Amino acid sequence: MFGLIKRWKALEAKGIMGINRRNADYVLKYNERRLYPIVDDKILTKQRAIQAGINVPEMYGIIETEKDIEKLSSIIGEHSDFVIKPAQGAGGDGILVIADRFEDRYKTVSGRIISHEEIEHQISNILTGLYSLGGHRDRALIEYRVTPDPIFKSISYEGVPDIRIIVLKGYPVMGMLRLPTRQSNGKANLHQGAIGVGVDLATGVTLKGTWLNAKISKHPDTGNAVDGVQLPNWDGFMKLAAGCYELCGLGYIGVDMVLDQEKGPLILELNARPGLNIQIANDCGLTKRTHAIEARLAELEAKGIQENVEERVKFSQETFGHVHPAKAEA
Amino acid sequence: MRSLNLHLKALIGVLVILGLLITAYQIFVLGIPVTEDETDDLWNIDAKVEFQASPNSPVKVQLFVPPLTQDYVSLNESFVSRNYGVSINRADGNRRVTWSARRASGNQTLYYRLVLTKRYSGEQPKPKGPIFRDSLPVEGPEKIAAEALLAPIRQHSADVETFITETIKRVNNTSDDNVKLLLGGDTSVANKAKAIELLLSIAHVPMERLHTIRLIADVQQSPELWVRSFNGEKWLYFNPETGEQGLPADRLIWWFGDEPLISVDGGRRAQVSFNLNSSEINAIHLAKLTDESTEAGFLEYSLYGLPLQTQQTFQIMIMIPLGVLVILILRNLIGLQTLGTFTPVLIALAFRETGLQWGIALFTVITALGLSLRSYLEHLKLQMLPRLSVVLTFVVVTIAAISLLSHKLGFDSGLSVALFPMVILTMSIERLSITWEERGAAHAMKAAVGTLFAASLAYLLMKVPELVYFVFTFPAVLLVLVGFMLAMGRYRGYRLTELFRFKAFLKD
Repeated sequence: MFGLIKRWKALEAKGIMGINRRNADYVLKYNERRLYPIVDDKILTKQRAIQAGINVPEMYGIIETEKDIEKLSSIIGEHSDFVIKPAQGAGGDGILVIADRFEDRYKTVSGRIISHEEIEHQISNILTGLYSLGGHRDRALIEYRVTPDPIFKSISYEGVPDIRIIVLKGYPVMGMLRLPTRQSNGKANLHQGAIGVGVDLATGVTLKGTWLNAKISKHPDTGNAVDGVQLPNWDGFMKLAAGCYELCGLGYIGVDMVLDQEKGPLILELNARPGLNIQIANDCGLTKRTHAIEARLAELEAKGIQENVEERVKFSQETFGHVHPAKAEA
Repeated sequence: MRSLNLHLKALIGVLVILGLLITAYQIFVLGIPVTEDETDDLWNIDAKVEFQASPNSPVKVQLFVPPLTQDYVSLNESFVSRNYGVSINRADGNRRVTWSARRASGNQTLYYRLVLTKRYSGEQPKPKGPIFRDSLPVEGPEKIAAEALLAPIRQHSADVETFITETIKRVNNTSDDNVKLLLGGDTSVANKAKAIELLLSIAHVPMERLHTIRLIADVQQSPELWVRSFNGEKWLYFNPETGEQGLPADRLIWWFGDEPLISVDGGRRAQVSFNLNSSEINAIHLAKLTDESTEAGFLEYSLYGLPLQTQQTFQIMIMIPLGVLVILILRNLIGLQTLGTFTPVLIALAFRETGLQWGIALFTVITALGLSLRSYLEHLKLQMLPRLSVVLTFVVVTIAAISLLSHKLGFDSGLSVALFPMVILTMSIERLSITWEERGAAHAMKAAVGTLFAASLAYLLMKVPELVYFVFTFPAVLLVLVGFMLAMGRYRGYRLTELFRFKAFLKD
């Protein structure tokens, strides 16, 4: 019992955020319910991003009705690789990634050969709401297939690693690199077994990681160290994430991004209830950082100033960066 | 944000204070017992009437029964008699039962049974009575004796009350020659009462006789004579032998007036014997038993005012917030994972019918079977609604099969499975299956066990009889509960499981 109270005190001293605090002080306070559809529907997110001039994987087309499925061939056009996603899917279900095609056949990333009819059937399933939350009718989204930057080859196992940055009112709070593992089946969700690796906001150098709530420093599948890796184009990621506040209006979000070999940082999706394991990955609590940002916001409001994306990124990098310089250099 | 917090705090404060005040009012002002164990005495009074019927003549028996206008309330009254017609009539503040039969012979026994208890509360009607009466005619030596007695009584008294007390004292002083003369050698209570009445009437003080029964168990007794007089404000009761004033709490007035307890036409040797015994009964239960016509005012607007059948439903319903509170604490304070928010409460309600062990066993069996069907259906790639419909139908069939099987095997507790909410089971299976797909078997098992644990805990809490009684009797405590729930709505502390989840932070 005393041990638990001590533990409670210790976590509080480190500024670790619990679910109750996240919900009460951030999600409920800063995220208006009416704005949720923007992040829940990937098509809406993408459209908003395009309007705001934020980089996203190029959208080839949308299929809304069974009749629209006829248009699939014209949407795909000459692209030999593409991704089909349900707009409101959850947990990566229903996503079909086509890596190549020849004649009338398509090859998925896992090497399975499927026919055009099978793709049409998959889209039909998406439309009936098979993969959507609550089983509502859904739309299918056909978009550019991201090719991860080779920098991740050494520390990643399979699938596409992504970068999540938590953003409070446009200020990046904390960042993490999410690496799929054998256990996560190529998915980058931490609760499915992916690794989260903390990132220094100032430099983009990776820190130690978390896997299944524990701290780690090596990838369990490849055995390579996950820390000390310099992520390319880090400032680009930071600006992209910070700009998502203007994009969706939600005050507390997790921004999931990828680094494409050709197109650089792209936004994949936004999350209105970002998880808390990012704290373990960074070995740092969220609460102190969010309080610092809230103090900054109050200060700026008193002066009547609103900062732009560059200023906000600068503030976050100066305030929260260089947390573990020793580890970063090692 | 600050104003919002203030608003919330004020709201919580108002709700908690209101809930506590209403409950305190019920307990301290209305005197509603806090636990079901607090009991009131319940009196069972039997009056046994025996007489010898005269052959070939109609029989008519008249017996006074308690008027029940004072501090007692009748819960049940019965007239046990074979071949007799029964009627009750009221006259002069008395109630009288008349048994009548065209023909009867031999020894006859009739019973009058009354179950009564102290009246709960309620307004007493304003007493009314005569304050003046004419003198009884008296002549000769009696008149002289009476006046000789009255002179010192007048001297020693100040008002009606002391006058009567003094009169009774004098009449009971049987060594006094004047008293001897008035009583004429008969020192029975009835005769004394008669002498008292005579003396009082000369002073124009009205007096009325009344006959009481003592509420004492298993003692042979016959009605005791008391007298009373109205002083303009209230009735004053006196014992004509001791001069004791005020009717003791254990006396029940059986009838007023001079007439005998029983009168029999067409019969002889009538006698009445009384038999009393008491039992204890919960005060609220008692109030429930009382007729609607009785003035159990506080119950009028409580849940006890509902029909009995509905009350039972409400006893279950009103405990649901407590079950929900359990889930709230388990989820937000402890961090337990459950399937859905209120599913455990609904399962807990189902446990009420099946019992805990059977409930858990049946839930596990049906869910396991449903899950295997669900995983098979997964391959068929069905849409949600048809898929759910298939699972629901399967659940119904499984329930029917279990009922049939257990019935054939002689376990009747298996039949209670029919009361399991099928839709809840179906949704649990669906949720469990999705959790399984998305987060793996371990996580799904954790959620399933968590659900069963939460349901068991909620069930055990919702079943505590003291608690059920308390919440049902003092529903205002729900306001306090809402206050707590509101406070939980802005709770920011860690959940217990998070202390373990973030253990990694404390390694170094």
